Amino acid sequence: MLNYFELFGLKTDFSIDLAQLSNAFQQLQKTAHPDKFAHASSQEQLLAVQKSATINDAYQTLKNPLKRAEYILKLRGTVMPSEQASFQDNAFLMQQMELREMIAEVQAANDIDAALLEVRTVLDSEYQQLFTQLQQLLNDDTEQSNQQASDILRKLKFYQKLQLEVDRLEEQLFDD
Amino acid sequence: MAYSEKVIDHYENPRNVGSMDKNDPQVATGMVGAPACGDVMKLQLKISDDGIIEDAKFKTYGCGSAIASSSLVTEWVKGKSIEEASSIKNTDIAEELALPPVKIHCSILAEDAIKAAIEDYRSKQK
Repeated sequence: MLNYFELFGLKTDFSIDLAQLSNAFQQLQKTAHPDKFAHASSQEQLLAVQKSATINDAYQTLKNPLKRAEYILKLRGTVMPSEQASFQDNAFLMQQMELREMIAEVQAANDIDAALLEVRTVLDSEYQQLFTQLQQLLNDDTEQSNQQASDILRKLKFYQKLQLEVDRLEEQLFDD
Repeated sequence: MAYSEKVIDHYENPRNVGSMDKNDPQVATGMVGAPACGDVMKLQLKISDDGIIEDAKFKTYGCGSAIASSSLVTEWVKGKSIEEASSIKNTDIAEELALPPVKIHCSILAEDAIKAAIEDYRSKQK
């Protein structure tokens, strides 16, 4: 399998230099740009399009920290539960419910700005806490730590959704 | 994507929304979540001494299909025995609500919520 990190000349590691990634991406994308193959055979054109698509996928995967973590775990052969499989960590889900309720209550708050800020602060701090754990576990790189990392990753996805939820709420509250 | 009429009906008029005291020995609570969509579902069942589900309440944060699936499940389980309730399959839910393939996981979530609640009940019985 093609290693996305190697494709961009990066070390296979969770901590990457995003500027370096972006530079390597732009350089590489130039070499596969369909315009360069305007006079080439149709087979070469097709290959260039495929290569360009792969480079894009690779870039999008590595740029996003959660996707990057998932990709690293995949490279390490960690078995991850299916995206569709339901998650049953009662304490965590209770907390998610409470956060959802907190978000739902923002609209009814006297000071909406303050309520939004509070929600964001709570979400950011909890996200950051989990994210730091993820970093450490991925660095440890043992079978057990990778398994734990995959569990943390699933939790982080819930937080990502909550952040989107707050973004949507903010748009709704301030757009009209 | 178009929701079926049944999904819209449950979404607009959800049945049995609410909470029960999770510390009540007769109340079983099932919590499940879906990382892919961030949905969180809580299903609570009030179970009589002879194992009949007397009441059901739910609270779901998620898309219309997730809300409809849990709302439907609360209607279905009321009056059923634990054994009957645990035989409800996600395919029954998906079929009743005419869920499209991309929303099947919402019905799986609802089935898992029943199982989780029954598991909670059994652990409380010990």
